[in-house]
Amino acid sequence: MGVTCVSQMPVAEGKSVQQTVELLTRKLEMLGAEKQGTFCVDCETYHTAASTLGSQGQAGKLMYVMHNSEYPLSCFALFENGPWLIADTNFDVLMVKLKGFFQSAKASKIETRGTRYQYCDFLVKVGTVTMGPSARGISVEVEYGPCVVASDCWSLLLEFLQSFLGSHTPGAPAVFGNRHDAVYGPADTMIQYMELFNKIRKQQQVPVAGIR
Amino acid sequence: MADLLSVGVNLEAFAQAISAIQALRSSVSRVFDCLKDGMRNKETLEGREKAFIAHFQDNLHSVNRDLNELERLSNLVGKPSENHPLHNSGLLSLDPVQDKTPLYSQLLQAYKWSNKLQYHAGLASGLLNQQSLKRSANQMGVSAKRRPKAQPTTLVLPPQYVDDVISRIDRMFPEMSIHLSRPNGTSAMLLVTLGKVLKVIVVMRSLFIDRTIVRGYSENVYTEDGKLDIWSKSNYQVFQKVTDHATTALLHYQLPQMPDVVVRSFMTWLRSYIKLFQAPCQRCGKFLQDGLPPTWRDFRTLEAFHDTCRQ
Repeated sequence: MGVTCVSQMPVAEGKSVQQTVELLTRKLEMLGAEKQGTFCVDCETYHTAASTLGSQGQAGKLMYVMHNSEYPLSCFALFENGPWLIADTNFDVLMVKLKGFFQSAKASKIETRGTRYQYCDFLVKVGTVTMGPSARGISVEVEYGPCVVASDCWSLLLEFLQSFLGSHTPGAPAVFGNRHDAVYGPADTMIQYMELFNKIRKQQQVPVAGIR
Repeated sequence: MADLLSVGVNLEAFAQAISAIQALRSSVSRVFDCLKDGMRNKETLEGREKAFIAHFQDNLHSVNRDLNELERLSNLVGKPSENHPLHNSGLLSLDPVQDKTPLYSQLLQAYKWSNKLQYHAGLASGLLNQQSLKRSANQMGVSAKRRPKAQPTTLVLPPQYVDDVISRIDRMFPEMSIHLSRPNGTSAMLLVTLGKVLKVIVVMRSLFIDRTIVRGYSENVYTEDGKLDIWSKSNYQVFQKVTDHATTALLHYQLPQMPDVVVRSFMTWLRSYIKLFQAPCQRCGKFLQDGLPPTWRDFRTLEAFHDTCRQ
């Protein structure tokens, strides 16, 4: 697992989500990247059940259960600013059993699907973020395999991002700042996805104009 | 040479026997020449016959003498012993199909050549050291008249010495750790871990570096049965490139008389890779060129360059 940066690509003016994704993939192919299949990252939200809240009425915490096709046998469970867990896929079944403590917010299942590209040692995934039937945005994930310490290769990643994202290049993700010399792990990638999904959820729906 | 003598072959007698064979051959050919020439021209027939017979007898006597000498010497030569002092390479010599796979003769030739090469290189380096190109005041102290003495071979060093040198280098740099093991005989195999950037496997032959292979920090360096995997390449192109550069470096840092200096310089060069992902190229200023960071480190200044940017 190399250092990964997940960011959102804003939809181009006057174009739909589909067309922006196509623009991006064409730029990547011109750079010399090779297509290598598809990927999918999804996320379900759970509230802590009301019965477990204390008499003081503390606010319920949100838990996110996520899957990543890069790690098909694993399941990630994260709290917003708190601990995270990597479990195997039986965890989903466990969540059904824990219905008393965690209730799922069914309408909030969000996922991103798209294609994987390989360029030298970089793995680029461009996906369409969908919530239900509607496309809400575009996620771009870039992973640099050889390096495992985040603070080492941020400048390198930035240069690569600029080469195909141009002016939409993001700033350094928050997780990079937290862990200075620690080895980067898949949980950090899932935290970045969780933050991205939350941001997109809060955004307004992308206007469905221009499909005439 | 001393080993062969102890085996039972008397080399001097051997050489003498060979020259005795040559003497015998020449005396036999003299006999036939005499016969071919026939009788010489003398006044009387008897004189001619007598001279011819006398000449012929002389030649036959010399043939007899040489044959006796040869027999005497061949008894002195003795038989080589039955057991193989050559071990595995001697078994190669038993291959009957010599035309298609002349392995043993090629092996011997290669071995003799490399020995001669080493000997000549030692002599040459001794002579070159005398003709110093430095202009400093203090001379080496070797006068031109004194012959250069034969350098002790550094190919056969005690393993303890190698261990000591490596452990001293290990303590030199804090971010580099060297682990030594000898899974395959006497040649040492080092696993060098540089920070959290990369791992290098160095295969050595006494104190000379033979091969290196560079892999990422997160990649597995052991095979399934727990041994060091010294053959498979890295999965990442950047480390495959660094492996090529490391091979160039081990060919560049050469000093046959002082191999520990060589190992030290190689490790110093390797240590400059701690900033593999952080240093931009000194020539073009960018981080990436064809998707690769600056992988080349200059041998003298240790500056980072892209492979395509280096002078």
